[in-house]
Amino acid sequence: MHAIEAISLEKRFGTIQALAGISFSVEEGETFGFLGPNGAGKTTTIRILTGTTEPTGGSGRIFGRDVVREKIPARREIGIVHETSNIYTDLSAWENLMFTARLYNVGKRERESRALDLLSVLGLTGRKDDKTKGFSKGMKRRLTIAMGLINKPHLLFLDEPTSGLDVQSNLIIRDVIQRLTREGVTIFLTTHNIEEANILCDRVAIINRGRIAAIDTPERLKKTIQSVQSIEVAFDLPGAVRAEDLAGIDQVTGVRKMGDKVRLITGDPPAVIEGVMDYARRANLRIISINTRGPSLEDVFIRLTGLDEKGGGGTP
Amino acid sequence: MRIVSEYWREVCTGFSAAWAIARKDILIYYLKPNIIVSGMLFPLFMFLAFAVGRPADPATMVPGLIAITILFSSSSIEPVSIPLERRTKTFERLLSAPISLHMVVLGESMSGFLYACCIALVPLAAGMVLFKAPVSDLPALAAGIVLLSFCFATMGTLFAAYPTESPGDIMSMLNLVRLPLIFVSGVFVPIGEVPFPGQVIAYLSPLTYGNDLVQAGFGKATHFHPLLDIAALCIAIGAFQSLANRLYRTFNE
Repeated sequence: MHAIEAISLEKRFGTIQALAGISFSVEEGETFGFLGPNGAGKTTTIRILTGTTEPTGGSGRIFGRDVVREKIPARREIGIVHETSNIYTDLSAWENLMFTARLYNVGKRERESRALDLLSVLGLTGRKDDKTKGFSKGMKRRLTIAMGLINKPHLLFLDEPTSGLDVQSNLIIRDVIQRLTREGVTIFLTTHNIEEANILCDRVAIINRGRIAAIDTPERLKKTIQSVQSIEVAFDLPGAVRAEDLAGIDQVTGVRKMGDKVRLITGDPPAVIEGVMDYARRANLRIISINTRGPSLEDVFIRLTGLDEKGGGGTP
Repeated sequence: MRIVSEYWREVCTGFSAAWAIARKDILIYYLKPNIIVSGMLFPLFMFLAFAVGRPADPATMVPGLIAITILFSSSSIEPVSIPLERRTKTFERLLSAPISLHMVVLGESMSGFLYACCIALVPLAAGMVLFKAPVSDLPALAAGIVLLSFCFATMGTLFAAYPTESPGDIMSMLNLVRLPLIFVSGVFVPIGEVPFPGQVIAYLSPLTYGNDLVQAGFGKATHFHPLLDIAALCIAIGAFQSLANRLYRTFNE
């Protein structure tokens, strides 16, 4: 049985088509990444699959249960971590967890032992009885995740779990996701952090303008654009490097500044390395490092969402 | 048999979740300053504005004071809590929980209901102790307090369905309904003395029937039979609950 099945899901808001008949399935125990620019339809998809809104066409199933007709039994199987850390700031961390557990009808003994366990795993034990008003952004996010796990879900929806967090919270959350994967929990992850999806996900779907642009493993997706390879060069005087000159090198199809380095997109790295050497000699620059790189998931994302051509994707 | 037991389990877990929502609201909102102002002080000052300088025996005005206290206190929690929870996205948490929308509406209304029941005891005690207003029909009084509290708590939840993140927007709309009701529902002015268009509204106002029941509790002359009052309030509760459910579903899209 699939953990999630989306069959020709459509959602229309007046004249705006937010989802244009998307179909995909997620297997039990899989970590599935859902990537897309803002307004692409990621949150709408989550809202439909969690029964918060109804599709205008198609259907969705969670462990075989229809998300419209069997909404409540379907919701019992899932945990949801919304994009915003939606905790009650007038309540303590413990009260937030107890409230969520009661909403999911988790028995007293079970909810208390589970809450203690989650607080410990997420590094919040010491702040258990503090009002969450004073929590940092990372702590609020960690508590939101604990609230999403209090009912011991078989499927967890994670909407941008690490967006804008400090390193410590990021690491703790990634650790928890990996631990859940080992325990066999299915994870549906939406993220803007493509590297995160690359590390955590078994498969990734890229959605753009309400349509699925591609679904596959991160590695296979990268192979689909082998022509997009790149060379990353660091010069001794980064300020003196002129992107227009680098773009003029034969076989270079794009130039991106990456901090103190420059990435040259090309289909023929050896030819471009020669050109870069020539450029460095002419401009009196010294090359500190030079690396060839295969296509990244970010390259796939940029290519498939058309962000490189139009400077934006998503719903118009 | 299995279907019945499944259904029963569903109902029990629904009520348990509704109680969890009410409990959360009690912990968070009962002592918020804007709730205290609109739920306690506003009806007190409304009462004083009517009562001060009038020749009538204060004891005769106690039922009216109880009725308007319930009207304002029961409908003050959700119009504040729900928009604030929309702003912080915590309301989304309730909408995605494994409970029906009916139970979310019920849970939200329960906190206003319990708040009003408690607050109503203040004018009741004051009326009995300070003004020697005698309670002659306790069941009618209790039914009046309970049904009126639940009815207007549900009305507060209904108004809070309007998709805004600002409590002020809902309070403004709510006051457009609550304030005229005081004048036409026989609280301070007998229904017979209200101009005809007002009388038509009076028959549609749940406050009329709730106030009538409370008046019966204090042994005053009533406009309707208590059973009719109870039936009217039950119908109003059902209608508000059903309409609230529909509006939350619509606006949630």
